[in-house]
Amino acid sequence: MKALKVLAQFCLILLMLSTGSCTQQNSSTSSHEIVFAIGQMPLNLDPRYATDAASERVNRLVYQSLVDFDTQSKPVASLSTWVELSPTVFRFALNKNRASFHNQMPLTANDVKATYDSLATLKDSPNTAEFANIKNITVIDNDTVEFQLNQADKHFSAKLIIGILPAKLIAESYDFSHSPMGNGPLKFIAWQNKLTLQRVNDGQRISLIEVKDPTVRVLKLLHGEVDLLQGELPPELVKYLQTKPDVIVKTGIGANFSYLGLNFQDPVLQKLKVRQAISHAIDRKQIIAKAMIQHSREADMILPPEHYTNQLHADLTLNDYNPVLAKQLLQEAGVKLPLKLVYKTSTDAQRVRFATILQAQMAKAGIDLEIRSLDWGTFFEDVKQGNFQLYGLTWVGIKTPEIYLKAFGTHSVPPNGFNRGRYADAELDKQLAEENWQAATTRIRQQLPYVPLWYEGQFAAMSKSITNYNAKPDGNWDDLGTISYAH
Amino acid sequence: MFLIKKLSSFATVIFGVLLLTFLLIHLVPGDPVEVMLGESASSADRNQLRADLGLDQPLIQQFGAYLAKLSQGDLGKSIHTKTPIIEMMKTRYPATVKLALLSLIIGIALGVPMGVYAALKVNHWQDIVVTLVSVRLSAMPAFWLGPMLMLIFAVWLGWLPVSGMESGASIILPALTLGFGLSAILTRMTRTSLLEVLNDDYIRTARAKGLTEQAVILRHALRAALLPIITIVGLQMGSLLAGTVITETIFSWDGIGRLLVESIEKRDYPVTQACVLIVALSYVLVNLVTDVLYRFADPRVRVSA
Repeated sequence: MKALKVLAQFCLILLMLSTGSCTQQNSSTSSHEIVFAIGQMPLNLDPRYATDAASERVNRLVYQSLVDFDTQSKPVASLSTWVELSPTVFRFALNKNRASFHNQMPLTANDVKATYDSLATLKDSPNTAEFANIKNITVIDNDTVEFQLNQADKHFSAKLIIGILPAKLIAESYDFSHSPMGNGPLKFIAWQNKLTLQRVNDGQRISLIEVKDPTVRVLKLLHGEVDLLQGELPPELVKYLQTKPDVIVKTGIGANFSYLGLNFQDPVLQKLKVRQAISHAIDRKQIIAKAMIQHSREADMILPPEHYTNQLHADLTLNDYNPVLAKQLLQEAGVKLPLKLVYKTSTDAQRVRFATILQAQMAKAGIDLEIRSLDWGTFFEDVKQGNFQLYGLTWVGIKTPEIYLKAFGTHSVPPNGFNRGRYADAELDKQLAEENWQAATTRIRQQLPYVPLWYEGQFAAMSKSITNYNAKPDGNWDDLGTISYAH
Repeated sequence: MFLIKKLSSFATVIFGVLLLTFLLIHLVPGDPVEVMLGESASSADRNQLRADLGLDQPLIQQFGAYLAKLSQGDLGKSIHTKTPIIEMMKTRYPATVKLALLSLIIGIALGVPMGVYAALKVNHWQDIVVTLVSVRLSAMPAFWLGPMLMLIFAVWLGWLPVSGMESGASIILPALTLGFGLSAILTRMTRTSLLEVLNDDYIRTARAKGLTEQAVILRHALRAALLPIITIVGLQMGSLLAGTVITETIFSWDGIGRLLVESIEKRDYPVTQACVLIVALSYVLVNLVTDVLYRFADPRVRVSA
């Protein structure tokens, strides 16, 4: 028994460690730091580089931008109001009562100029191209800044949603990526295993921790290790949480558009009747009822019904489930049944689940759908290269109608835009150029360059101690600016 | 001489791994420039950045430049986070080593005594129970065992944290998840290996000379049975140091395995290359240690070498 002794000692160490864990847990509870578990940590907190959803959601809280959007996605004043002096000149007046940067330096027009000037010089920023149209930025005074453009752009103000950085720190090549410095409602404290932020007005600390596995996120909420979850859970886990007395689940409508992309270089998919058949072969209502969370709703357009360009009409009957009609349309299109199509999606469990449901539904309409589930990098590369017949994706956080031009414009084939299906439609191009949104959306509804699916509902699950937090349609975390912990 | 020979062969292995990884990374779909600039960037901007990063050079030249930087200890920067990779490794690799070592200790502490016990009670009910338990443990995948341990020890009993790295106790559940699997392998290997030597003549001689059963087992039989166990432990340690992606993901353990998979998903090529390099170095090092241990465990290896 030497070995037994070693084993006994090891067990003792385990016991001591576990006692230590309980102590630590209690102490963290007493500090009332709100812990928010997310599926993916932000990658880069420099707003000039950030492209992933988590970074953009945190950046909205740490920085302030010149412009924001209202509930109808119209650009509204945030840090400034603006006037369009001419089609190529925009003047922005900063709010008098604006907050200073978190290092107490005042935010001035010089900081605005420095932020957007620096974007033009960065060689590796994904946002640089968006502002290539800026000719010159002039500081009029401490509170006023003027943007001159090379070409007229009606939607220019809606693009100024990059958080403003301090000019002095930009000049010093400060590392905003890992140590952000803005003037938003939350200030950065630390980022090691967790990202810790602190609310400026009352000192409330909020920590973001990454927990990849959805089941583990739920277990952590139930165990009291985290106070808040939002999105990224399969519906069965959301329903499970709704049965727990110590957890509050809030759901709300979503605005992120899920769709089937089609390849117009494929001769079969060029036929409108085939596209209509695919659309009629999908029972969206059933999928929403059985496999999605509450408040999910059918979609017919990228921008949701409440968007200012999309309120005139939304005729969802165009996409009604009708497998008999779908089969008839395929036959009228001269397609030999069953029509074999390859559908590409990511390896995400919920996306694969949707794919199998679509496969079963389409089979009833005479479509033999082959599912290819690929790792994200390969899948997205295939989509961009046009190497697909059908694919499934979601547009997240889209606010401006320019998306129609970028997604469906004939000249917007990658790398010039997001027209990944290589759709070409001179009539739509004309309507988009004229910004005739009503005509353009009608045309898109009829021609189906995408097969629209749904706007997935949003939800947040929290412990009973949490108040003042709601799920937002685009999934942002803005309510971290108001969230409270009841003692 | 032994070490020099080994080290030179390991250098060849590492070079081969680096070359193969470099070539494979350039074969898979995905372009780092597109990852950095997004879909909207102009062709001119793309070409400019491609030139700045040296990606417009022939592959052999790119590989040469990579090796030159590597020789100065420069692993590059992450495409996404812009963090120097060496900094990422400083936190990720120790986390993996810590988890691997504790898992190995648990595996050995449970597996070897259980295997010895089963061998000594061969064909008795105790042997059957140990064998059944070890088969059960080896059949439990980490993605099932991990959440079960969380449910029992964290949610129901409240003894341990569910996941994360915040407290010292956070390591226990992932280490148990890995350690249980390892112990199952070691139990069966120890049992089989020990049974083979227990009937050998020298064991019979040792017993005939009047040695206690404890001395016969620990001093003679177990030592002779150690070689295959060392091999298994070495291989398992190599795998553990390569990172255990599923366990690290489930338990939110920021180790190298999780980093490697995430970097592949995001096409963060410099990080992928660095992770593969570290994993290869770990394997090579563990193999070296295993070879050295062989020489201590079995004098015949020393003689033949």
